[in-house]
Amino acid sequence: MKKRIAAILLVLAMVLALAACGSKPQEEAAGSAEPAAASGSSISVCLASEPDTIDPALNSAVDGATLLAHLFSGLAKWSQDADGKLVIVPDAAEELVEGVVNDDGTVTYTYTLRDGLVWSDGQPVTAGDFAFAWQRAASPELAADYGYMFEVVDGYADMWETDADENFVNPDAQLNVKAVDDKTLEVTTASAIPYWNELLAFPTYFPVREDVVADDAWATDPSTYVCNGLYTLAGWDHNSLITLQKNPDHPDAAEVTMDTIECYLSDDANNMLTNFKNGDWDFIDDVPTNEIAALKTDYPDNFQVVGQIGTYYVCWNINEDILPAGSTLTGNEAEAAKAEIRNAISLLFDRNYIVEEIAQGGQVPASSFVAMGMTEPDGSEFYKNANNGEGGYFKVDADSLEANFNSAVETLKKYYTFDEASQKFTDFPTLTYLYNTSDAHKAIGEYLQSALAAVGITMNMENQEWATFLNTRKAGDYSIARNGWVADYNDPICFLDMWTSGSGNNDVQFGKGDHAAVTGYSLDLTPFGLDTKVEDGTWAETYDVLISAIKSCTDPETRFAMMHVAEDMLMETGCICPIYYYTDLYMIGDNVDGFFSNPLGYKYFMYCTKG
Amino acid sequence: MNSKTLTYILKRLVLAIFTVWVVITVTFFVMHAVPGGPFVGEKATTPAVQAAMEAKYGLDKPVGTQYMTYLKDIVTKFDFGPSLKQRGRMVTDIIGDGMKTSAKLGIMAAVAAAVVGIVLGAVAALRRNKFIDRIIMVITTAFVSMPAFIMGSLLLTLFAIKLGWLPANASAKAGVSGLILPVITLALYPAAYITRLTRSSMLDVLGQDYIRTARAKGVSGGKIIFGHALKNSLIPVLTYFGPMLAYIVTGSLVVEKIFAVPGIGRAFVNSITGRDYPLIMGTTIILATLIVVMNLLTDILYKVVDPRITLE
Repeated sequence: MKKRIAAILLVLAMVLALAACGSKPQEEAAGSAEPAAASGSSISVCLASEPDTIDPALNSAVDGATLLAHLFSGLAKWSQDADGKLVIVPDAAEELVEGVVNDDGTVTYTYTLRDGLVWSDGQPVTAGDFAFAWQRAASPELAADYGYMFEVVDGYADMWETDADENFVNPDAQLNVKAVDDKTLEVTTASAIPYWNELLAFPTYFPVREDVVADDAWATDPSTYVCNGLYTLAGWDHNSLITLQKNPDHPDAAEVTMDTIECYLSDDANNMLTNFKNGDWDFIDDVPTNEIAALKTDYPDNFQVVGQIGTYYVCWNINEDILPAGSTLTGNEAEAAKAEIRNAISLLFDRNYIVEEIAQGGQVPASSFVAMGMTEPDGSEFYKNANNGEGGYFKVDADSLEANFNSAVETLKKYYTFDEASQKFTDFPTLTYLYNTSDAHKAIGEYLQSALAAVGITMNMENQEWATFLNTRKAGDYSIARNGWVADYNDPICFLDMWTSGSGNNDVQFGKGDHAAVTGYSLDLTPFGLDTKVEDGTWAETYDVLISAIKSCTDPETRFAMMHVAEDMLMETGCICPIYYYTDLYMIGDNVDGFFSNPLGYKYFMYCTKG
Repeated sequence: MNSKTLTYILKRLVLAIFTVWVVITVTFFVMHAVPGGPFVGEKATTPAVQAAMEAKYGLDKPVGTQYMTYLKDIVTKFDFGPSLKQRGRMVTDIIGDGMKTSAKLGIMAAVAAAVVGIVLGAVAALRRNKFIDRIIMVITTAFVSMPAFIMGSLLLTLFAIKLGWLPANASAKAGVSGLILPVITLALYPAAYITRLTRSSMLDVLGQDYIRTARAKGVSGGKIIFGHALKNSLIPVLTYFGPMLAYIVTGSLVVEKIFAVPGIGRAFVNSITGRDYPLIMGTTIILATLIVVMNLLTDILYKVVDPRITLE
């Protein structure tokens, strides 16, 4: 009897459960714009969670850029040559022409589009599409995060010029770019830009068509998404799966070996790893930090570490008073003392320990701010030439640890009371370390805390949720904060121009608040053939001037030499304490060949094959 | 249904609308008081860009004015506005997409929890102090005390990695099989709770005079259980439906993360971290409404199950 009751109820349960989900398969089949894609090669990848946007002009994320690199053909693209070296090659352009220097110092480039380029709806791609897309991406109306990538183009400064009330002065200004005819695009840059070709391969520079983007929601659904690249957007189940389908009409379609890219969307590294381990996903772009050690031994062929142009660092608020109570130092002397103290504290940290025991992702201990991976005109690495060829502003090898420590203590003894019995400083003001909520940042913060505690310096920890943290750090309401910067293009200027006094990324507050009046900086540009020579100037009179000089410099060697001067100035302040150069971690299946990624973190799956 | 009941329901409806309005108001002002904004990123945009964006979405106006505009748009046009982060998408679309999956997951979990819980609870009660009863009680105690993220991780390791029977993601491509593990994870706690509730309630009812009378009159065992005991012992279980829904809604935030389920929970969490104001409001309103409505339905259900209960 009772068995029968149980049986009846169980059947009922099954019926109900089926009823709740029964209509699903048919619904999906009808709702999906995806054609029968069963045949051909297919790869399942997971880069991140739902992208905020896949409109090339609006995107500012690395995962979005990866998708866009598959969906669009800009004038140039990243490619891997026969030796596996990464190069920028023409894509929609016939060739990447040299610019013609005009009398006023501006440079004009004239590109011819390749034949046979069509949009995914069949219309031909024209030079006008590029011109339109660039005007749009740079415009105040769109207000794109990466609109400033066009600041090198003539006309951008006029478009964005504002009066004291933040009103635009020239509402009709445009970029100096025009379509001469359907095949010819002419663009003028404000000066010679060494990394111009790389910008052409940047998603913000990809073309879009005016009638397509007139619909604000065009980039949110496959039915309205019109692109011109190697792939088309075949399906998008929001928060779940983006499907890219090879575009047979692209002139380079014959080189594409992967027919379908299924891009799963997940925001959880543990979930990604599970799907990788059980074989559902061939590639994942994130791994849980606490699994790294195990993955290195268990999946040596799958777990990959590649360089990424970025630096993890700790920044000081330059206006934070760290001198002992009762210090008689004032003005420039106090500023110089603070710089010396901050530089000394930087020497107390064992970066090898942080990299090997905490971060564990193959990161490289950093001794300069401009990241590893930036190249000079002669092909050498920028960071190796830092500090007049010293290869860094201090030594980071394990053997130098003790010498670093001793020198730091000696320096600090000049300013603080040192108790020989306990080997600790007794009057260092209490510091607070601000970081955004994350186990990895916390672990590093705790290490820094213990390293300082060893010499008697108390540092409290304060964590804030991401958006609040950004706000606090930008506003300068902190004493020391966790920070990190990843380059947008392969040129050191993107690590240097963020520290001008007017920059929105100037978290250190150089030239802001009390520091605006500090006149402790010197700049001598006469060795570079310029008239500028400032002694005892403010940050704005020296560093800001130096950055503008770099930006208008056309000779690559001089330009790089000046960038080293800028980094010297930055590091001299001690406000930037580099910890490590970032790496990019991912896992890739044994059977996947032909994959490559670039130093900006973009992943390329089009030439993959699966064995 | 008498007029008293109708008045009661009307009263509750008015109260429900008032509750949702309070939620909207509090959320709106608290949300704007929290530091950070939707257009603040690691890489700073210029003040001009910020100003242009804020003007575009009306964020440059005083918060009070924004609040009035927001209420007016919802009431008159059912317009929740555009997402500030996922540019080009409307809040209603994002919520609609997420709700499709979340509702499916929630309904399946609720049904599974109710059916399993009631069956096991009844079996345990009827076999009181026997071996099967003990087993059920031990297992349910374990499940009641185990958090969803541990249960989910265990299930994942076992079924997705070790055995490889089920996928570890609930994408549309994985189909129904992708929802099995999330549903189980989500249903275990309420199922265990309902089991214990049903068991004690059933034991209570089985000891009542009218059951003894029925037995004495020679009514068959099945008829006693289904006709009298089970129905009456479900009233306490019904009271649990409101809290259960709240658990499933909040619990699904964790489950969605573990199993990569494209539900509304993710939209909710991301909207807050990204300060996507319209999406924060939209998801909050939907979730608040859901809970208020389900609680109201539960109360009305009492009346249906037990006519002795008067609603006032």
